Amino acid sequence: MATEATAAAPAVPGEGGRRSRRVQDALATYGLTAPALALLLVFFLFPIYYIVRYSLGLEHFAVTEAAAEITGEFTQLTTQLWSEFLTVGVDVQILGKDNVSFHLPTWAIGIIFVALVVGAVAGRRLSERWGGWIQGGSIVLLLVPFMTIPAGNNLLRFAELSSGGDFLRLFFRSVTMATTSAIWAVIIAFPIAYFLAFGIKKSKYTWLLIVIAPFLTSYLLRIFAWKIILGDQGLINSALFELGLRDPDNPLSFLIYSQFTVILVLLYAWVPFIVLPIFIALESIDRRLLEAATDLGASRLKALAKVTLPIAAPGIIAAFLFVFIPSIGEYITPSLVGGNNGYMFGQAIASQFVGGALDWQTGSVLSVFLLGVVLFLTLATSKFLRQGGGATS
Amino acid sequence: MSRGTTDVLMSKNGKRLLVAFFALFIAFLYLPTILLLIFSFNASTVIAFPISSLTTDFYEAAWQDDEIRKSLIASLEVAAGTAVVATLLAVIVSYALARRSVRFKSAVSALILLPLVVPTVVLGVSLLVLFRPNDPVIPVPLGLWAVLIGHVVIALPFCVLLLLPRIASIDKRLEEAAYDLGASGVTTFRRIILPLITPALIASLLVAFVISIDEVVIASFVVQDQATYPVYLYSGLRLGGRTSLLMPVATVMIVFSFVVILAAELIRRYGERRVGLAER
Repeated sequence: MATEATAAAPAVPGEGGRRSRRVQDALATYGLTAPALALLLVFFLFPIYYIVRYSLGLEHFAVTEAAAEITGEFTQLTTQLWSEFLTVGVDVQILGKDNVSFHLPTWAIGIIFVALVVGAVAGRRLSERWGGWIQGGSIVLLLVPFMTIPAGNNLLRFAELSSGGDFLRLFFRSVTMATTSAIWAVIIAFPIAYFLAFGIKKSKYTWLLIVIAPFLTSYLLRIFAWKIILGDQGLINSALFELGLRDPDNPLSFLIYSQFTVILVLLYAWVPFIVLPIFIALESIDRRLLEAATDLGASRLKALAKVTLPIAAPGIIAAFLFVFIPSIGEYITPSLVGGNNGYMFGQAIASQFVGGALDWQTGSVLSVFLLGVVLFLTLATSKFLRQGGGATS
Repeated sequence: MSRGTTDVLMSKNGKRLLVAFFALFIAFLYLPTILLLIFSFNASTVIAFPISSLTTDFYEAAWQDDEIRKSLIASLEVAAGTAVVATLLAVIVSYALARRSVRFKSAVSALILLPLVVPTVVLGVSLLVLFRPNDPVIPVPLGLWAVLIGHVVIALPFCVLLLLPRIASIDKRLEEAAYDLGASGVTTFRRIILPLITPALIASLLVAFVISIDEVVIASFVVQDQATYPVYLYSGLRLGGRTSLLMPVATVMIVFSFVVILAAELIRRYGERRVGLAER
């Protein structure tokens, strides 16, 4: 073992010695990376390759081909499962006084989605003059349809994507719920990060740790804690019974087993974590810029809008994505507090593999689809994620 | 114009508002956990205030419970295994990435980080497919070993993220000096690099341990008859019942993880002081 520096040093005599040294060096390097790469190849890439095979009918759950025909599984290459999943199309509903709704094929939604993501990420590079508008417009169009105000049993929103296909409808519901909790998480985390960055002088890192610490404790136990508060026999309901505001046979049921609960718990779980990227983005702001802005007559609000927010934007976007991306495929939270109303795409996948449905081929189609969406989002937004992730690591 | 910096950032009232919001936020974060802690001592199985009497009976009952104990032991075993294996692999690969000219370096690091973004549901079902009991692709029986494998895959990127920057930040000349003085590669690693990365190494072990001991998604797909504790807790929460027994264990685990976080933070500060970074 030798570093490149010593291998190149004149202390090594002769061409032959140097070459064998170099071979040794290369071998050592491969030897060092091999264990981790082998692990990932066998237990990470290979399994994913297999679910792709299942999704195309190349593998089946039944042991023999004859048995597979009885259970109705595909036994050769087919794209039928994919087309069953995707061809149903998407219903777009714009909610308001007069509900407007129209039907679009799934591919059209896909193209619009990809275009909006590209616009949101690279809008500024597309046009000198309209770049800012393209970027802002894309972000608004991506978020506003899903921006939900949870008001008890009712979820208020501007638009709704739905589908005649069960799985596609579930997917859009998951996206809506993930977007909602991510937006609310950012709205709550921003003032907290702002206060930590600018409002505290002494031991601000200790306060930061106090904010983040809950994120590092068991996720399952934090859901457990919310069940104790929100359950039908939980704290809030039993207080309501006690005070005579509610009949014990008729608890406030939307508190648990609803979309509202899933959104609340997801938000609760992620908000401590995303304070961090926003905090770091704010910390990096040169305060003299803000002083200059106010000296030039800008109000504090204007300085916030024109100086602070634009500089902190990458951190804020990263924060949004840190909640949004893992929430689309959430499985544990909805199955503990979601009930029927809060059922999500991740649960649909699980039930195809271990639950009642038991159809590994369809389950694989859903898994590969989810994986594709998440990978696309991650790659498209890697600029922000790296900034936020670099800050957090 | 002699306004201070804070003045530019927030008005007096604005600051008051932020302080109030911050206080509410901290309450929102900690209240659920504190309530869990309080109700774990509740003598009645009805979850409501006022609490009539306190007891540690449920702690004792949970401690006596065979199923809980077995699942906790299973989890500790898997977590310890994950911590050791993931950290070991991470040290080796981080050293190679930091110090050697690895071909396709960016592809290798991207592959290592990829499990971070793959939804755990997808990882779980794909491992189930790989280890399927009828005609497995890779003959690992479903059970704790399968859980361990899945956990190493998801812990590895975190360990590399902790270790790689620390190894890369070590002055190359220290190693060169050791070589020049005749030390072998192994000796150099043991005597020079290892002592310098000890804090990061401990952090990596802790993080991998914590990830594994809390992981439920992958575990729920590949466990067989012996559940890990999170899987046991998950099915307990899903089916309801036994809440009084689960709360004491939950409380102990939460307190334990706060202790671990505190320890990790103290070690980090100690480590930073040692490498000469000013304590913030």
